[in-house]
Amino acid sequence: MATRIKILSICGSGVVTSNMVAGKLKDLFAEKGYDAETVEANSSEVEGCCSREHFDLIAYASPISNNCGVPAFNAIGLITGMGEDEFMEEAIEALHKAGK
Amino acid sequence: MLSRNLIRLNLDVKSKEEAIRILAEDFVEAGVVKESFVDAVLEREQESPTALPAVAYDVAIPHTVSAHVITPAMNVAVLKHPVEFQQMGSPDVTLHPQVLFMLAISDPKDQLSLLRRIMKMLQNKDLLNQIRAAKSEDEIYGLLKPVIEV
Repeated sequence: MATRIKILSICGSGVVTSNMVAGKLKDLFAEKGYDAETVEANSSEVEGCCSREHFDLIAYASPISNNCGVPAFNAIGLITGMGEDEFMEEAIEALHKAGK
Repeated sequence: MLSRNLIRLNLDVKSKEEAIRILAEDFVEAGVVKESFVDAVLEREQESPTALPAVAYDVAIPHTVSAHVITPAMNVAVLKHPVEFQQMGSPDVTLHPQVLFMLAISDPKDQLSLLRRIMKMLQNKDLLNQIRAAKSEDEIYGLLKPVIEV
């Protein structure tokens, strides 16, 4: 049974990049045995999203001013394809620390 | 999604604003976006830049919210000289994109597989190099059609 996680994917408009990143994250986490659910939003919506529901990770392609205590990682490497491994290593380490 | 009329080779511009305006107006003329798209995409680039240090060279993917979009489209511009853009996610980093891919996305959930194909294109070093080296708009269209319009 895959471990369920919830990821907040942030970009400037909440339209293009956050959805590209979200699709990529679902694939990458599935390979690692996680079932990732994603929510896409723009950078001004982080606090609102985090107050409504719990997220295990934030992936951002636009700078965020407050991570609301959620481990947050720059997702640009997922879009360029360079830095995917580093992103996943750090993200999974954060999940392990949280017992997931 | 792709159209020969939305491909520009040797685009000679002095600034990102000039480049974005030309490409956005091409979209307006093609009827794929509302006129409000032009200012919206310029504004959005200032607030939240879209240049990426892609695997072959720097690129930029200017875009804005769906409210200004009528039908999904992508245009391609190979620049005569690179112009300065700020990096997505790191606005203090300056990049020098050589190719621009402006995106018009009307419904990201509906167009998720398209977004995946665009991302794959951005990660394809050989394809990016072929686009930059292309000698005609038709050649770029031929390179991208099988990748973007599956």
